[in-house]
Amino acid sequence: MPQAWIAGKPATLEAAIAEAARLLRASRLPLIAGLGTDVAGARAAIALAERAGAAIDHMHSGALLRELDVMRSSGVTLTTPGETAVRADTLLFVGTGVAEAWAATQQKRRDGGAGRRVFRLCPGRSPAPLGAGATAVTAVGKKAEELPAMLAVLRAHIAGRPTGEHGPSAKALREIAAELKAARFGVAIWSAATLDALAIEMLCGLVNDLNATTRFSALPLPPADNAVGVLQTCGWMTGMPMRTGFGRGFPEHDPWLFDGRRLAQSGEADCVVWISAYGTPAPQWAAPTIALTRQAAGTTFAATPRVCIEVGCPGVDHAGVEYLPQIGTLAHVEAAKPSEAVSAANVIARLASALFGDGARPC
Amino acid sequence: MLTRIAGGRVIDPAHGRDGVGDVWMRDGRIVDAPPDGRADATYDAAKKIVMAGAIDIHSHIAGWNENTARLLLPEQHRAAAPRPPATPLSNAGWSTFQTGCLYAAMGFTTVVEPAVSPHCALHAHLELADIPIIDKATLAVLGNDDYLLGLLRSSESEAAIADYVAWTLDMSRSLGIKVVNAGGAAAFKENVRAFSFDDTVPSYGVTSRRIVKALQRAVSELGVPHPLHVHCNNLGLAGNADTALATIAAAEDLPLHLAHLQFYGYGKEGERGFSSAAPSLAAAVNATPNVTIDVGQVMFGQTVTISSDVLRQFNARNQARPRKWLILDGDGNGGGIVPYEYRRKDFHNAVQWAVGLELFLLIDDTRRVFFTTDHPNGAPFTSYPEIFALLMSRDLRAQWIADLPPAAMAVTTLPSISREYSLAEIAAMTRVAPAKLLGLADRGHLAPGAIADVAVYEDAADRARMFRAAALVFKDGELVVRGGKVTHYRFGRALTVRPDRDRATDRRLKAYYEDRFGISDGYFKVPAHAIGRPEPFERVPCVS
Repeated sequence: MPQAWIAGKPATLEAAIAEAARLLRASRLPLIAGLGTDVAGARAAIALAERAGAAIDHMHSGALLRELDVMRSSGVTLTTPGETAVRADTLLFVGTGVAEAWAATQQKRRDGGAGRRVFRLCPGRSPAPLGAGATAVTAVGKKAEELPAMLAVLRAHIAGRPTGEHGPSAKALREIAAELKAARFGVAIWSAATLDALAIEMLCGLVNDLNATTRFSALPLPPADNAVGVLQTCGWMTGMPMRTGFGRGFPEHDPWLFDGRRLAQSGEADCVVWISAYGTPAPQWAAPTIALTRQAAGTTFAATPRVCIEVGCPGVDHAGVEYLPQIGTLAHVEAAKPSEAVSAANVIARLASALFGDGARPC
Repeated sequence: MLTRIAGGRVIDPAHGRDGVGDVWMRDGRIVDAPPDGRADATYDAAKKIVMAGAIDIHSHIAGWNENTARLLLPEQHRAAAPRPPATPLSNAGWSTFQTGCLYAAMGFTTVVEPAVSPHCALHAHLELADIPIIDKATLAVLGNDDYLLGLLRSSESEAAIADYVAWTLDMSRSLGIKVVNAGGAAAFKENVRAFSFDDTVPSYGVTSRRIVKALQRAVSELGVPHPLHVHCNNLGLAGNADTALATIAAAEDLPLHLAHLQFYGYGKEGERGFSSAAPSLAAAVNATPNVTIDVGQVMFGQTVTISSDVLRQFNARNQARPRKWLILDGDGNGGGIVPYEYRRKDFHNAVQWAVGLELFLLIDDTRRVFFTTDHPNGAPFTSYPEIFALLMSRDLRAQWIADLPPAAMAVTTLPSISREYSLAEIAAMTRVAPAKLLGLADRGHLAPGAIADVAVYEDAADRARMFRAAALVFKDGELVVRGGKVTHYRFGRALTVRPDRDRATDRRLKAYYEDRFGISDGYFKVPAHAIGRPEPFERVPCVS
């Protein structure tokens, strides 16, 4: 049976949806945030937001938009996990935990990258041992703050420009630059979650510089909670990424104006719908008015939501389409442990019906 | 319900019909007039033009490349008008919803997305599912993928290649196969920066020609109605007409379709070493009846080039206007997104504009030259009405030519061409011919039995205005557009083919994905129940 609560007290799903509809109807600016859901859930949520004049944001928009902002103002060469796995002779991991995150997507590959050269910049204080089959593993830098300067020196070496020769990593960076230039197909791997915009911009530039003479690409690892899948859905449905508002009747994208945290903390948004079907904890920056979460009973909110509905996890309780980091695109994932838990998409569609009837829904 | 479109000038070149009369529809199909002549609903089409719904064979409307372009260029498609009550998101700039509405408003009812990487097929189909009104289809891109190149390297049988092509069509739910710069993307991954028809892909030892020929044969032997859809090597380069001519010659006696030929219509004449080679290309097409082409007309204005030709896009990245771009070293082809502005005052852009029109006007058979802008590469599909007008009026062309650089016009033959398309020729080019090329027997015409996709236009002297906003459009017999505005949503289907194959192929591919990538090939499948709409696919029969 689906589980639902109104003001902390058990309720039927129908009653919870009716109460949620009432709260949304009374709201001047609803915010649909979290958005940790599959493509079906995202389609339903975006359709609801458009009708309700809401703003939408994803819990990992910060990292995602930091990266997208660089890409939509410069040039970048990307590759896929598949091409990286089978073709790369040189890998450059940038930031903490990145090599480990990449390795987690490669567990089932039989060829562990024999003969591959691996370099790590600022991998953190105790990086996991790497490189089954890799011939060279070099790590430099401990503090993430060093990264932009380190990348600048690396780029200067690659471009043959003079650099200040100081610090323990100067020699290592010169050697790494030479190795990167000698790569046949190199890939720089990072996660925007651990990098600032300047570092990402330097990395895109580094890859571009290397492509003057050899082949080099970038592989940013995606945030969790289907962030890229939701981004793609948002892109085709509205033309825009997340942090988009529908208050004026059409999608307007503004990374500051429609930042969910800002909207909630400033009080501009007076009804926060939080969707987290993959089980990530609730935000500490907001007390959701309406929460659709995977583990409602185990989730601690800043304040008890007016309405809480437990939803199933895509790929576990029910089948769903999501972005898979091991293939770098959307895939349909069957339910690993099918259950009766209701999907976020289903709850949102019923909520939209309660609010607006069944007519004129795009999804 | 029996519906009558009454008293319009019905132009149906498939059946030699051009005269005032009625079109009758029932249950989504065109039917004969009933003996008693009574209709449940009648739409007056007096003094209007009635045609079948138009079919676009090559328009990049969905998928990873297209969507990445959206995300890269938020400033270029801001929505400005609030949502109409009945059609949510239809005013969201460049959204899938807007795409379907804009196409429908022009009387288009079927559109083919011509470049889907098989690994991203689900993504493409999810986008297509959110394009309302029209029916859709995809072409799957092969020819730079390791599996095919591996088959060719090890001289596997033609049957093995055909089985793999059939597997790809089935897995990606496609209507046909496209090859984009065959071998060029694979060579680029090994740092090759220029790649022609007889160049060899390193590591595989196969030429571009061999890849094209192998796929052409496989598609033909499988009975896939649409011939191999070829994007040649050397797109956009001066002197590249030779590449297109070599590809046309290589068609031999099997069908072959060359995409956006305008981008290969360049010679090296003139002071700037860049000229129109359209006359020689048109002559070659005229002389080769098994070859069809689409144009890829350029129009002036801001657009973005979206292509699976990663090598070409990489080489063009520094011409980006505005200065940003994205290249993908993807599985198989990958691709690139390079924004671009075609300018009237730019010599090269003006030559490109003229080359496209020359091809339209110098190729004799309107059923072998297809109407495209390679949306959005030459121009957005919303510029189609202006192009129809240019094709139908030499006076209008003369006005445009007068505004363009004389030096550019001097290296083309366009100013000397007086041909004007008739409405029947427009209908043949945009209705009859595409249906035949794609194997869609019940589309592109208005005889009983056809799907009731019908466009009704005002017979305005301003042809651009006429084609921009259809007076009435019916999709599957249902009224969807009135006065150029979509009145409500319905959702169409994606057309697919599924030729037979040796099921051992499935086992081979399963093992290949596990060995090479450590993943299941199941991730790349497109189950109907993943699409989120009822009956999202319609199967088109193969020819036996």
